[in-house]
Amino acid sequence: MSMDADKSVLMEADLVRMAREGDLTAFEELVARHRDKVYARAYSMMRNEEEALDLSQDAWVKGWQRLAQFQGDSSFVTWMTRIVINLCLDQLRKHKRQRAESIEAMEEDGGVERQMPVVNPNPTAGLERVELRERIDRALAQLSHEHRTVLVLHEFEELEYKEIAKRMKCSIGTVMSRLFYARRRMASLLAGVRREGSE
Amino acid sequence: MKHDLELKVQAWLDGELPDHEARRMGELIAHDSEAAALAAELGSIRQAMFRQEAAVPLAESREFYWSKIQRQIQREAGSRRPDALPWFARLRRYIGPLAGAAALGCVLLLAVVRNGSPSFDEISSTGDGMEAVTFHDQSAQMTVVWLQDSSAAMEVPSVQKSVPTEDSSGTVIDLE
Repeated sequence: MSMDADKSVLMEADLVRMAREGDLTAFEELVARHRDKVYARAYSMMRNEEEALDLSQDAWVKGWQRLAQFQGDSSFVTWMTRIVINLCLDQLRKHKRQRAESIEAMEEDGGVERQMPVVNPNPTAGLERVELRERIDRALAQLSHEHRTVLVLHEFEELEYKEIAKRMKCSIGTVMSRLFYARRRMASLLAGVRREGSE
Repeated sequence: MKHDLELKVQAWLDGELPDHEARRMGELIAHDSEAAALAAELGSIRQAMFRQEAAVPLAESREFYWSKIQRQIQREAGSRRPDALPWFARLRRYIGPLAGAAALGCVLLLAVVRNGSPSFDEISSTGDGMEAVTFHDQSAQMTVVWLQDSSAAMEVPSVQKSVPTEDSSGTVIDLE
């Protein structure tokens, strides 16, 4: 292992300070501590292991290059996840250009789920934590990139509408509409899973 | 329910409405069963998803994962980050070359000052006793240059046609 063994016992703030001074082994320790979280966020958005891996590694390179900009307003891992989110959004925009606009318009509109009556106000009731997490993950995989992204940014990253709109380069109205559709679709998918399970 | 109202129910749930509007929306949800059901559904999804991001394990080992990052860092930045260094450290990197250039400039300046203006006599190849006479005939498209060494009292006629030539002082004569 190329890293000094004693780096693993250091506080995060010390590692960040050392990395800012150019200590690559301190940065390696930060990568080791938070790589799972950064990769998981990339995977949540991309739903593709290879892309998530590449983007998470690119995010670490960018993180190293921009360490001077880290002011400590948020935790280091929060700062890193914001970097990986931005890289994922750029990548999704590239994908978007390759897709047909008709599909895009249909998804933006909300499809069938938007007009569905509320049949199950609590589709996740009674699910165990681990099971719930797995089902949410499977349901997320069935959403479009736009709807999944808005959910990830709102529910996992806890960003406000305004901040999401800024990052996704769209209006607040679009964010609200996408979030609404995404939640209704999630409710539908989770309720469907539960019905299948109980039959 | 109108879509605008649906979005307001959601915004109320997410705490994105201004106070006065949030109060009004709260009252509506309390009295409207359809709005209440929608708020319950959206709220349950919001609550269920809160910090429930799937933990996806990285297949790569720590070393393998890091090796690509390290290579990229070293390739792109040559294992240095100028923007991360303090200003004096960044400045120090330029002091050496700048000092060298300044020293060289001083040496050259001193040499010029001591020796006066540089002399370029050696460029001129005209001898003290040399004379040149040029004749150009437009109709024949011909230029004749006489070079005369008065000290040797010798005449050397030279005939050129449509070729640029150079006189004895190094000036180019443009011939058609």
